[in-house]
Amino acid sequence: MQLQSVTHSFNGVCVIDGISLEVKAGEIVAVVGPSGCGKSTLLRIAAGLLAPSDGSVHAHDERIGFVFQDPALLPWRKVVNNAKLLASRNDDAFVTSLLESAGLSTHLNKWPHELSGGMKMRLSLVRTLAMRPSVVLADEPFGALDQITRHHLHDELLDLHSKSPFAMVIVTHAIDEAVYLADRVITMSPAPGRFVATTEIKLDRPRTSALRYTAAFGELCGRVASTLNEASSPQRGSTMQVDSTPKRTSSRGTT
Amino acid sequence: MKRRLAPIASLATFVGGWYLLAYSLDKNFATDDGSALIIPPPHRLFEGLNERTIERILTATGISLATAFVGLVVALVLGWGVGLLMASSNSVERAVWPWLIAIQVTPVIVLTPIIVRIFGPSFAARVFVTVLVAVFPIASNVLFGVRSIPQSLRDLFVLRRASSTQVVRELWIPAALPSFFAGLRVSAGLAVIGSIVGDFFFTRGEPGLGRLINYFFLDTRSGPMFITAIAASILGLGFFAATGALRKLFVDRWHQP
Repeated sequence: MQLQSVTHSFNGVCVIDGISLEVKAGEIVAVVGPSGCGKSTLLRIAAGLLAPSDGSVHAHDERIGFVFQDPALLPWRKVVNNAKLLASRNDDAFVTSLLESAGLSTHLNKWPHELSGGMKMRLSLVRTLAMRPSVVLADEPFGALDQITRHHLHDELLDLHSKSPFAMVIVTHAIDEAVYLADRVITMSPAPGRFVATTEIKLDRPRTSALRYTAAFGELCGRVASTLNEASSPQRGSTMQVDSTPKRTSSRGTT
Repeated sequence: MKRRLAPIASLATFVGGWYLLAYSLDKNFATDDGSALIIPPPHRLFEGLNERTIERILTATGISLATAFVGLVVALVLGWGVGLLMASSNSVERAVWPWLIAIQVTPVIVLTPIIVRIFGPSFAARVFVTVLVAVFPIASNVLFGVRSIPQSLRDLFVLRRASSTQVVRELWIPAALPSFFAGLRVSAGLAVIGSIVGDFFFTRGEPGLGRLINYFFLDTRSGPMFITAIAASILGLGFFAATGALRKLFVDRWHQP
């Protein structure tokens, strides 16, 4: 998936400015940035839910899955039927195996309102992965959960990723989450959002919870935090690394 | 037991007040045979109730029930149709909404004579009056239900590349069900009222509850008049309970307000 010089304005106010991004197969990219910097808008554009004011999205032949901030479950469908919503018709066995690995197999006939917050988010993830996506776009999916549940879900997500590696762009405001999950953490500036720094996360996989308590992990979190601080400071203009000149292209991916 | 105390106390107060009113009203009882003229006390409610009167009340209840039921079903179909159409297009909403408001705020009783003149005193005319009063709460609540669908669910169906039919069938209709039932509960009560109010103007054919109560009123038969009023009340309660049962069946299992 490739975004080229994507710029977007709402009512004449520029919210994201000249963002280019390429995500390789199986790669996990985390985007961090202050509230209101256009992270969610960027994801919606990448998913094809929003047409950019300028720039282009190339997502040829990609199967794009989207994980929303809220679990976005259909309350009138039972757990199993929510899980199957996006899956192909003859993929029931795969959905069942996903539900099993997410610890939901004993809750198949429950209604969404009978699940805890963590379970709802698990189900939301399962539903997205059930469509066998090549790219997953996740918009602060764990933001509303407590820390313990969040850490569990990080491990489950990485486990599922290791089984069928999909490319992923996850937007978050939690630096530790970004570092734990991603191969690359991109820092965005306050609105209008631009990419101002990229931190490579060269930590071995599979990653386990013990990693969170290592010096290397702490150092990487610190590095990302400092890029965020720098991005938010008034002199940030001098650290810009991206080409902010928008280019208009006619081609757009079929997302 | 404690939970039942309040309704029992309120029922006792109601019956007590009824007795008090019946015996304190001036000229409530006829001087010759002592029959109640205005309000019969509860234990004398069934006086003057013969087989013929019972039959008339039952027939009238049947007619009002049929009118209210058919009217409500038509209002339900129309309400869903209009609500979904308004939800699908702002232009349709802007064109239709003022008319819905106009129908809602115009007292139906002033329209009834006009409707009778146009349609004649037919069953269709009675149903028409009922539809007029019952359609607004359904249409407006269906519209509200669809408009309240969270953006993430809408996005989900875009990502799923769902067809318009799929969106309406699998997202709009189920999402609008809870608010539809809130509207239906109001409409069910209004349909009963509509069928009875409209009835006052239908001077031909078998009378419904509205005309029958008027007949007993003119005949100063207060017992049957009260029984007729109670029949109307039971009819309303039946509709209310039926919509509650339907809601329980279709919505309460999955919906947490």
